Amino acid sequence: MYTLLIVQLAVSGALMGMVYALVAYGFQLTFATSKSINFGQGELVMLSALFSLTLIDTGLPYWLVVPGGMLFGAALGLFVERAGVRLALEQKSEGWILLTIILGLLGFSTAENIWGRDDRPFPTPIPSDPLHFFGIDVTPLELSVAVGVLTVMGLVELFKRKTLLGKAFEAVSADRDAAQLMGISATRTIQLSYGLSGLVAAMAGILVAPITTVGPTMASVLVLKAFSVAVVAGLDSGFGVVLVGLFLGALESLTSFYLGSGWREAPGLVLLILALAVRPNGVFGKATIRKV
Amino acid sequence: MWKRLLLIRGTELAVLAMLAAIPLVVNNSYVLGLITLLAIYGILLIGLDVTVGYLGQVNLAQAAFLGLGAYAAGLSVAHLEFGMLASLAMGFGVGLVFGTVLAFPALRLEGPQFALATLSFSALSATTLNEWEGLTLGAQGLQVSRPPFLGMTLDAPGFFWLCLLLLALVWIGMRNLLSSQWGRAFEALRDSPVATDAMGVGTYRHKVAGFALASGLGGLAGGLYAFNFQYLQPQSFGWDLMVILLLGVVLGGRKSLWGALVGASLIALLPNLLSNRGLFQLISAAGLIIAVAAGTRGLLKKTAGPFRALAPVVAMGVLVAGSFVVENTEDWRKAIFALMLFAVVVGLPEGLMGFAAHFLARLFRIAPPPLPAPAPLDDVLPKRTVDGSVLLELRGLERYFGGVKAVDGISMTVRAGEIHGLIGPNGSGKSTAVNVISGLYTPTGGDILLRGKALPAGSLFKVARSGVARTFQNLQLFGELSALDNVMVALKDVYRSPLPLVLLGLARAEENRARAAALALLELVGLGEQARSRAKDLTYGDQRLLEIARALARKPELLILDEPAAGLAHPDVNKLLGIIKLIHERGISIILIEHHMDVISELCSVVTVLDGGRIIAAGTAEQIKRDPKVIEAYLGATDGVAPAPAA
Amino acid sequence: MLTVENLHAGYGTSEVLAGVSLQVKAGTVVALIGANGAGKTTGMRAISGMIRPNRGRVLLDGRPVQDLDASRVARLGMAHSPEGRKVFGPLTVEDNLLLGAYCRLPRFFGFRARAAADLEGIYALFPRLRERRQQAAGTLSGGEQQMLAIGRALMAKPKVMLLDEPSMGLAPVIVQEVFNTIRRLKEAGITLLLVEQFAKSALEVADYAYVMDRGRIAIEGTPAHLREDERVLAAYLG
Repeated sequence: MYTLLIVQLAVSGALMGMVYALVAYGFQLTFATSKSINFGQGELVMLSALFSLTLIDTGLPYWLVVPGGMLFGAALGLFVERAGVRLALEQKSEGWILLTIILGLLGFSTAENIWGRDDRPFPTPIPSDPLHFFGIDVTPLELSVAVGVLTVMGLVELFKRKTLLGKAFEAVSADRDAAQLMGISATRTIQLSYGLSGLVAAMAGILVAPITTVGPTMASVLVLKAFSVAVVAGLDSGFGVVLVGLFLGALESLTSFYLGSGWREAPGLVLLILALAVRPNGVFGKATIRKV
Repeated sequence: MWKRLLLIRGTELAVLAMLAAIPLVVNNSYVLGLITLLAIYGILLIGLDVTVGYLGQVNLAQAAFLGLGAYAAGLSVAHLEFGMLASLAMGFGVGLVFGTVLAFPALRLEGPQFALATLSFSALSATTLNEWEGLTLGAQGLQVSRPPFLGMTLDAPGFFWLCLLLLALVWIGMRNLLSSQWGRAFEALRDSPVATDAMGVGTYRHKVAGFALASGLGGLAGGLYAFNFQYLQPQSFGWDLMVILLLGVVLGGRKSLWGALVGASLIALLPNLLSNRGLFQLISAAGLIIAVAAGTRGLLKKTAGPFRALAPVVAMGVLVAGSFVVENTEDWRKAIFALMLFAVVVGLPEGLMGFAAHFLARLFRIAPPPLPAPAPLDDVLPKRTVDGSVLLELRGLERYFGGVKAVDGISMTVRAGEIHGLIGPNGSGKSTAVNVISGLYTPTGGDILLRGKALPAGSLFKVARSGVARTFQNLQLFGELSALDNVMVALKDVYRSPLPLVLLGLARAEENRARAAALALLELVGLGEQARSRAKDLTYGDQRLLEIARALARKPELLILDEPAAGLAHPDVNKLLGIIKLIHERGISIILIEHHMDVISELCSVVTVLDGGRIIAAGTAEQIKRDPKVIEAYLGATDGVAPAPAA
Repeated sequence: MLTVENLHAGYGTSEVLAGVSLQVKAGTVVALIGANGAGKTTGMRAISGMIRPNRGRVLLDGRPVQDLDASRVARLGMAHSPEGRKVFGPLTVEDNLLLGAYCRLPRFFGFRARAAADLEGIYALFPRLRERRQQAAGTLSGGEQQMLAIGRALMAKPKVMLLDEPSMGLAPVIVQEVFNTIRRLKEAGITLLLVEQFAKSALEVADYAYVMDRGRIAIEGTPAHLREDERVLAAYLG
């Protein structure tokens, strides 16, 4: 019975971990093309979820809300790239770290004032009555998270591998100068990566919203764990994030069972600092070569 | 000299006296609270500026260190019955220790990963403070009583003076530190970490020390914070405070003690200014005017592109509009901070003090202190006796990059006292070989022996410390530092004073000796006159010479010159030849990578020729020139090429 | 086809190019030779838009392109195969080649079919690339990477092709192969600006040549003319 409880906790934790993986995947997308990430990604997740909630309130059907929210996220991603990242990259400075933090703060404050500070439920057509598999309860809602995450990541990967634009994306990641010489605009590609990253983040927000409820602070913790997942897996390692996300989700769920829910965030943070100490480029990452 | 001292020290003293006099003149607990907070923030921001400004890394953990220091100080009063000084020391110590612990893993990283590591640390410390209720009482908060100071009970003005005194001490200590070898090393490793390692300075440990110190100051400020407010809650030290602190450093101006002070006063005052609507409208209007002025100026002078000129105007415009439309500004506090920060980061990246410094420098032209006389060259670069014994030996050295065999089994010997030429066509593996020897790359295979002992593989720093110095083909100077400072960073065997003496400003003699020694090296390469010019403002040829002077500051046994003549005009090449001969006369062995055959034949006693990562010939310059394989490699064998095979 | 007028360019405060003018006529091979550090590669980078020139003009087919970003210049028909080859290491050989034709292929689907014939052409020219089409480009040998870089530039069907130091870091026997390839490109009527350190080989294939020295064109002329000029060899051998 006790083992079953452990497995139950690990499984539901791992399913939540898929959301971290999805947000972390968004970090990888922009890091690949520009070596930068959006430190305000959590706010982007939250704003997209709130926007989707508003769409639901206007009576739009769920299957239209999802793409609507994702488009909104993509638009925000493009805005972040334009306002916070491009200038710093042109100057080859790390100003984007500060600027994306600032834009996140702006988004947070805007959300507080437009949608209020309270957490609200996010209605969904997906039922939450548990299904039983080998004595473990899994709700369709949790399953929808896993399916949604894998679908979105799969589609983006397909895009990168099967379309020429996607290959151009990888070319910019591999060698920006050479890609420019092929007629591939690095600026456009970085813009595209931020758009995709915003889209993916919005999807994460919509998937997780029915479980966590929606409010300005909904993603502040989520994004910390996504950072952990991205760094532990390596910011350039593709599907490594899924494995690390699953692992972290399970670990976290067990930690909060044994130590109390307040310590929920601790394992991710410890894992991150440890990973940095042992493998600075991530468990699945590659070592970089210094050039002079 | 006197004028300079009077102006700089005078301003410092005047501001200090003014602040100290406020409690005597104004008897108002609100004002007193503000200036106490100012002093505490001052200490905190000076610390934060070490990482954000001098080390150039975005540090998101300073608020956490403030919290840790505050709890440490508060708890040591409550549980250990410490006095004021002991508990403040406790706060400082906790900051220092945790800072060091975090620095070891975090500072192996650059940029975003470092910021993430500090961010995670903040979150972790917030979780711990919240959840360890047995100690911290968690979210309900901790009452702290202000302990006696040397047996005296401090009232509010007394406590303020204590804070101010500590701020002054921190100020003096940091000024001494930053104008010493430490400060130079901080700046150097921001400009070129590779060269800092290659000069044996040790990027990593300087970063760790700098970060630990910054965290210690955070902890000290935390102790003062605890005794000022006498009530602590974990959530006070969260993300909001961190953003405000960054606002302070950036707005005040990075890399400047004055900037930190200005920033501290702004963030201490700002929340109060924002709560008054009229004042807020005034401030945002002023901000808009500054943004428009700066933007127009930037566009006209072409120092700023359209985005950099317009974005701050838009941000400040939104702020002005908001100040009239919004009902309660307090609700929008974060957005207001965000807009202001955005405008400053984009439009005024040097901050207020950086901006003001340009004008002040124009107003008060102060002559810099005179330079000492150069030290005798024999002291700086003692003559080595050379015996022609084996100095460096390569055995089957290999380095592959993917499928490309850049260095493919090189074995060669360099004897003490020789100038060993390394030539070959572009991409023949010369630079890669040198990069492997000097520790930039780890070899794929083979051995490197210096005087029969294995040279540390893959560590620039350790190789530099073993007596091998190098220059870089693609210049790796510390661009923001003066030519003199560039050499001083690398100087070996001069700096011996321990850190406490440096902080107290008692290492001046050593600093003067270093300056004299560095000047001697600059004169050796003919740059004595340019000692004060910033490295990036030197001409290309002079930059190449400066690289050599800097490498010589390591007092090397073996000097590796990587294409020192590349891109030099003819008169400069002749000058370079003379300098290399001078260096050689002092008994320093040299590996010279070169393309110019005349340079090689004039200088080198032994020449090794590489092609395709392998040695194709070795011998004297004359033998090499006649070697058919060499001629072929250099000119390309077009004779005897088979006709194009049919596709 | 390509005209460069009084081009000045450099990095930061140092000016590497001090007024370079040259011309490449359609269907000809022009060689740019000179000592190391003379500014050949910088010249190529300034022509293709990788660095912005401080002064001067670059005309591609009569159209000024000196103020355009490298990707725009590439789309107008200039293919620059850069120094050090710069293949996309993690991508397969075939993907590298397809990206070479990025400008003229559909972005999403059907690009493979559209490029099939051109791919065949490249594989016919470099049979070794066909064998390794699914291999990651980074694992190729230096010579194969050079073939790939040339093939990738050819895929663009450029109006003019810039080839920067194709012999760099290659064993002599591979260098010969590279020059054989260049000769075949010439026979196929490709307009080519070639930067080479191997002056003699470059002069063998070129129709016209410029010798650079310290950021300027020191001498120019037909290969036959230059070979007679003592100064050329002297300047080159240093």
